Amino acid sequence: LTKRYPLYQLGNPQLRIFRPNWFLTLVRPGKEQPPDTVQFRIPMEMTKYDVKNYLEKIYDVPVGAIRTRIQFGSNKKRNHLHQKVKQPDYKVAYVQLAQGQTFTFPDIFPEKELKHEEGSMEEMQEKFMEDEKQRQRLDPRRGGVTEWFGL
Amino acid sequence: MAARARLPLLFPKTLPPLQRQRPAHTEAAAAAAAAKEPAYPPVVPSLTAKSKAARQRQADERVQRIRESPVEEKISLFTRIQRKKFVVYPQTFARNADKWYQHFTKTAYIPGLPERFGPGRRTTTPVAGEESSPAGGAPAPAPAVDGAAFADIRSLKRKAFLYREQEQNVGPFVRNMVAGLTHSVGRFNPLLRLSSLDIAPRVNFYWRRGQRIIPKGHRRGRLEPTRFQIDDEPQCQIRITQQLQQFAPLEASYAADVPEVSFAPDLMPLFRRQYDNHIFTGAKLPDPACYGHTQFHLVPDRYHRDRMARRQQSDQVEVFLRANGLASLFAWTGAQAMYQGFWPHEDVRRPFVSQAVITDGQFFSFFCYQLNTVALSVETDASNPRKNLLWGTESLRLYESVQDGEVVGLDDGVVKLLVQFLMNQP
Repeated sequence: LTKRYPLYQLGNPQLRIFRPNWFLTLVRPGKEQPPDTVQFRIPMEMTKYDVKNYLEKIYDVPVGAIRTRIQFGSNKKRNHLHQKVKQPDYKVAYVQLAQGQTFTFPDIFPEKELKHEEGSMEEMQEKFMEDEKQRQRLDPRRGGVTEWFGL
Repeated sequence: MAARARLPLLFPKTLPPLQRQRPAHTEAAAAAAAAKEPAYPPVVPSLTAKSKAARQRQADERVQRIRESPVEEKISLFTRIQRKKFVVYPQTFARNADKWYQHFTKTAYIPGLPERFGPGRRTTTPVAGEESSPAGGAPAPAPAVDGAAFADIRSLKRKAFLYREQEQNVGPFVRNMVAGLTHSVGRFNPLLRLSSLDIAPRVNFYWRRGQRIIPKGHRRGRLEPTRFQIDDEPQCQIRITQQLQQFAPLEASYAADVPEVSFAPDLMPLFRRQYDNHIFTGAKLPDPACYGHTQFHLVPDRYHRDRMARRQQSDQVEVFLRANGLASLFAWTGAQAMYQGFWPHEDVRRPFVSQAVITDGQFFSFFCYQLNTVALSVETDASNPRKNLLWGTESLRLYESVQDGEVVGLDDGVVKLLVQFLMNQP
């Protein structure tokens, strides 16, 4: 449910929002962004000034410049009933930090070496496969030359 | 068949002269071979085939054609084709614009002014008796008069409408000051007597730097050079008939470092448009005053330091001034170089030098620019060690305030710098 804020006219008191019901999502940029730029997905009702105040007052983040755009969610795909399925639109904000601060999006899913525990079935299978592969490989001293020719 | 090893039965009466008498590898023989016309046309790639060699040959033909034409044709051939290009605004709201602009124009920034203008002018203590008498005598009456006139005019006019303070109050002051100072310094600087003072001239420059792969469209996957255009309108500028002396030798710029930005200019933010590619110094080509001396720029209300302070962006004030000086001077010197017939494939043989003063009425920043290279496109920049240089000061306060028609706290150092700038001559 969207609240219709009162229309502003010259002389009206400044609109103040306490305990906003908006949530920002920090996302990894699809295209490489300069180091001082942070990318957020924000609710459609928020404006640039709302985002600036939000970040400065709630999270103490010094904001330099901010630019927003609305990403249209595609309405092209069709379901099994041949009805169009709309993907929701969302607003993206590019926030440039002030005071020379930089931000890099962290690696949330680092590559992990899957090590099976000792004595388990999977570990023995892995070892067996590794041994088989080792038997198939040629002598490393041959330097990659095949066994077709020579002695 | 094997060559005949035996002499023929029928011997000719006179043997043909032996090879020894006509050696093949002397200079005379080489000259003779060169003087003789080649029997076949040169082997070159086709011009119309669908091949990389043909494209390369088309590009080379274009370059050759531009090389051989006179200056006006050179400029018109270089700026003939319209394509989408980035429009670079010297006065921009973008953050850290100076780093981006330095990358676009291959300029290194050197804080402080070159030795010619004395040690780094950062203190406000006036240096007495250091200058020769002509420069010392001239500025004393001029700013005092200007200050009083400035204060009077301000009180007479009503408050300016939205964001027109600078244009209404400071603009006329700068124009009058420049005109008056130029006239008084003209006594000591003969160059200024033959100079041309333009009011609100247009300065345009078009150049190519870097390339990108087109991501989408019928030309997807192909390389495209990134094009830039500056359309600038300084408050006023002085053009002279002779080239100013260089501040530093060409070789000194090899060691300077230019910040590299690996991101596309779109992220700055910078926007593209397509329209006529202009290259203009402020006057048309046949004008004898084709070299630049000094430009004067006004800081608009939108970028005034009070407004920036209200938005907690005081650090961006200096950045804005540097970006403004850089872009404006690069455009001006580049246009001057193009007017002399230098273009990316024929680099400048001597550095082009210009100066700029950017002011908002109270604070003055001085910039000196030396254009060492105009070869910024991909093919020509690959092995180009030269870099352009920008010297600049921080903003220096001219006066503390104006009270009751009196200027309080006038800084003579700034006035001396202004006069030194105008006195600069080859």
